[in-house]
Amino acid sequence: MSETAVPLSIRDLTVAWHRKPVIWDVEFDVSAGELVGIVGPNGAGKSTLLKSVMDLIPRVSGRIEIFGRPWKDQRQRVGYVPQRESVDWDFPVSVLDVVTMGLFGRIGWLRPVLKRHREAAQRALERVGMGEYADRQISQLSGGQQQRTFLARALVQEADLYLMDEPFAAVDAATEETIVEILREMRASGRTAIVIHHDLHTVPEYFDSVMMLNMRVVAQGKTEDVFTRENLERTYGGRLTLLEEATEAMRRQEKSL
Amino acid sequence: MSGHSVVQHFLTLRLLPALLVFSLAAERLAAEEVDVAGEQGASGLRVLLLQDYNTRVVLFGATVLGLASGVTGSFTLLRKRALTGDALSHASLPGVGLAFLLAPAMGVSPKSLSVLLTGAAISGMIGAATILFIRRLPRLKEDAALGIVLSVFFGGGVAILTVVQRTAEGHAAGLDSFIYGQTAAMTSGDAFVIAVTGLLTIAVLLAARRPLTLLCFDEGFAACRGYSTFLLDLLLMACVVLITMIGLRAVGLILMIALLIIPAAAARFWTESLPRMIVIAALIGGCSGFTGALISALAPGYPSGPVIVLVCGLLFFLSFLGGTSRGVLIRSVRRRRLNDSIDREHLLRGIWELREGDACGVSEPPSPAAGAEELLKIRSWSVSLLSRQILRAAREGLVFQRSDGAVVLTDRGRIVAERLVQNHRLWELYLITHADVAAGRVDREADAIEHVLEPELIERLKKLLYSRSAAPGIPSSPHPLESATPVVSEKLDTAEGGA
Amino acid sequence: MVFPKDIDECQAALRVQRRIGRGIWLLLLSVLIPAGCERRLVEESESGRIRIVASVGMVADLVRRLVDDDVEVSQMMGSGVDPHLYQATRDDIRSLISADLIVAVGLHLEGRLQDTFERLQKSRPVLFLGDSVPQDRLLAEEGSVGVPDPHLWMDVSLWSLGLAALEDQLCRLLPQATERISVRRVELERELLQLHEYGVRSVQTIPARRRVLVTSHDAFRYFGRAYGLEVLGIQGISTDSEAGLFRMNQLVDILVQREIAAVFVESSVPRRSIEALIEGAADRGVRVRIGGELFSDAMGPAGTFTGTYPGMLDHNLTTVALALGGQAPKRGHAGRLSAEGDEHE
Repeated sequence: MSETAVPLSIRDLTVAWHRKPVIWDVEFDVSAGELVGIVGPNGAGKSTLLKSVMDLIPRVSGRIEIFGRPWKDQRQRVGYVPQRESVDWDFPVSVLDVVTMGLFGRIGWLRPVLKRHREAAQRALERVGMGEYADRQISQLSGGQQQRTFLARALVQEADLYLMDEPFAAVDAATEETIVEILREMRASGRTAIVIHHDLHTVPEYFDSVMMLNMRVVAQGKTEDVFTRENLERTYGGRLTLLEEATEAMRRQEKSL
Repeated sequence: MSGHSVVQHFLTLRLLPALLVFSLAAERLAAEEVDVAGEQGASGLRVLLLQDYNTRVVLFGATVLGLASGVTGSFTLLRKRALTGDALSHASLPGVGLAFLLAPAMGVSPKSLSVLLTGAAISGMIGAATILFIRRLPRLKEDAALGIVLSVFFGGGVAILTVVQRTAEGHAAGLDSFIYGQTAAMTSGDAFVIAVTGLLTIAVLLAARRPLTLLCFDEGFAACRGYSTFLLDLLLMACVVLITMIGLRAVGLILMIALLIIPAAAARFWTESLPRMIVIAALIGGCSGFTGALISALAPGYPSGPVIVLVCGLLFFLSFLGGTSRGVLIRSVRRRRLNDSIDREHLLRGIWELREGDACGVSEPPSPAAGAEELLKIRSWSVSLLSRQILRAAREGLVFQRSDGAVVLTDRGRIVAERLVQNHRLWELYLITHADVAAGRVDREADAIEHVLEPELIERLKKLLYSRSAAPGIPSSPHPLESATPVVSEKLDTAEGGA
Repeated sequence: MVFPKDIDECQAALRVQRRIGRGIWLLLLSVLIPAGCERRLVEESESGRIRIVASVGMVADLVRRLVDDDVEVSQMMGSGVDPHLYQATRDDIRSLISADLIVAVGLHLEGRLQDTFERLQKSRPVLFLGDSVPQDRLLAEEGSVGVPDPHLWMDVSLWSLGLAALEDQLCRLLPQATERISVRRVELERELLQLHEYGVRSVQTIPARRRVLVTSHDAFRYFGRAYGLEVLGIQGISTDSEAGLFRMNQLVDILVQREIAAVFVESSVPRRSIEALIEGAADRGVRVRIGGELFSDAMGPAGTFTGTYPGMLDHNLTTVALALGGQAPKRGHAGRLSAEGDEHE
């Protein structure tokens, strides 16, 4: 497979937030048609990793390529499902409106929303099992329904690479099943999904590869190879490694200034 | 918007302020004194018919200002930056003073309105950029940024005005009027500036409504779709600055914030749809401007700026009470209706369940009937509540009262009761078997459980129910029924699940 | 950003930074503190000249005409300044504290300085010229009870009433100049009397039904009473209050019904409301022009004729008389008004 076909390639990525390092020297490759799970404890930098892939957070160093090109050339090929809490669900829009937002980039500022756009949105809703909820106000949705709405919004773009931030957090079983089903459909059609996941029990079942992140990459690769007890301890363990000690010292230094 | 609700909106938005205006006018007419020149002052009726040029100019300016403020305020409210408008309007003060001082050096008249407003706009934009910049610094949040910019710029402005007032032409420029507003002295030139700027702002915002909606709803998604959140925020702030500029003359910079926040907040009570919210906010803003200026024209001694803001506040209060989507009244009506239907449901179900056992094994069971004392025991409801429900149910043809006082289900009543019982039991079963997820799904108003749950799940639940039932076709209770023990009726405290 | 290899290196860098910071602070403090002290010392070493501080120009002009040149007369509010809203600056307070006599109008004209004057009264004489006017000759503010209109200087005869008290104070302060002051006072009174009569005469040449004076605020009521004009102001006495729309409509009605040809702007008040008035009348087909700029709360620019009290009133009377259709010499009573003529819209 040539370089240009790799959906995501990260080299030497270091991201700092107000001079404190959040992720450090991350190197990461994803092949097409893979379902990748990212796991790690709270504050490990998982969301930061996704956001820096999308240039939402500036990075200190590193190179990120999406299908061989930088992010801004490939925006149309990447779908993003953010965390549910990032949004105020009291906003006065309907479910269909939210899904249609995924098409705004394509529609442009002044052109009207055509019937075919609405139909595409409706189809995406049906795919996630929310077909009848199109006109419902989002304030009346349950957690799982909200998650599925976000998923539909990403699906409607028909992207090749999907980045999802904790889509399985606090959703009901039916929603979880729906999401897994869609992920598998994606894989079958050659699309790639990178999913931040919190439930360690289901990692071997859902994901082909996994990346274990705790500020730096503890381990990455095929799930059956990498998802071992030892690696889990190193990711979630309480002992501070030497690197983390240094970072702590610097943070204390900052506070005293 | 259905025809009925249009009328509703019109009545509430226009009628009440109009009543206010008329009552004030009547009072003034009654108390009118002969003025110095020995003639009657402008009569109330003449003002209302807009026969005075100055009234027309001021009404036009105030209304357009209100319309534009409503539209702009909707976006800033949803972007949760409502108070930024306050900081910006205060930040425009130094610009006014500096424009006055620097104008002669640049060869333009220091007293010209457009010069002063340009200075106000520039200063406001610098304030906006400063707010956005401070927010990006570590350790400082939104409220600190607003407070810093508001106080520092305003203080600087007051200091500059103090210097200005000592110059020969200083006071004659009327720079003070920017702080409190001076609506009555609006000339046609002013009104023209207001109209052009107001319409321009509305046009810009409507053109950019999609990216702005996305920005307000989900900033992260907007950024990843390629929209520059910084530029969009700046665009929104620029519109706020423009609106503030035209509002400086009308209501002054201190009260400008009211026009930016209140119409949008009031509109929120009337609708759950964003386009309608913007329209309603514009209407409320325009109505406030119109009515406020009108009241000021009808009675001597009422400064227009504050009256406009007071009318605005009144409209907010009315929306809060009577808004058809989220108003206090509508919520309590919905809640009562819901409780009422729950009570009726309990009545029908109660009768059916009391006689459930009798139906076993009988091919043509008699219509279920129950006496009042029995019914009183199954729930902790009062006699008056029970009788009220019996009467209501009778009115709807669901029950009738027999000569011996027992309440009997009619045929229609029995069908409804059976459906209710099945529904209720399916929901209960679902709650029990899917306890972890059920809470988000149970919808008390949904008569048709089929619309909420997947068909396969309902089939499974029904099989579970009927497998325990004694007679075919009649669902049995998933838990033992103890009609002797009263069950506390579950009244909902909030109007969730309302239509 | 570079993560330092060595934590010690980092700490060393921080130490240097802190030292530089402290050094800058010391430097700043060493410059500012002495500068503050210095000013105070300079002041106290001034020569022992008598200092009189007047609040507005109309007062200062009277004082200057009575005293010798070696008395220092300073004026707090210059031309174009609105005395109703004026707030004392630190320089003003300093000069008030070092004054031997303070002269003001009173009657709350200098509204925001009232407290300051009352406090200063305890340690030096503060003379309010308005106190010389008997109660029955004061006008109350329109529509309110007990608040007198302070624009006394608009009636030359009333303003002259203050000369007696002024002479008294000045003589007490400058005993060696008593005779000179008395002589000057008599001359001044005569001059003012002639000016007053000129005013009455000139206004009488205006056709009776056109003797209406419309201005931005109610500063001219004494003027109107003294010289026979009906006075209408858009705003009340204080320029603080807002011109109400109701009042604007009322005035437009009057302008139209009585066919008033000219309205007047004021030097120290914004002219927007007058412009709106003219537009309102124009809409009803009546063309009203701006008859000229009048001096209301302040005199003209210092150093010019209108920058003196007689000049100010001369200008006002002449402008009004000419604009409303009366007869008066174009260069005024004293023949010293510039021939700029009336302003046109």
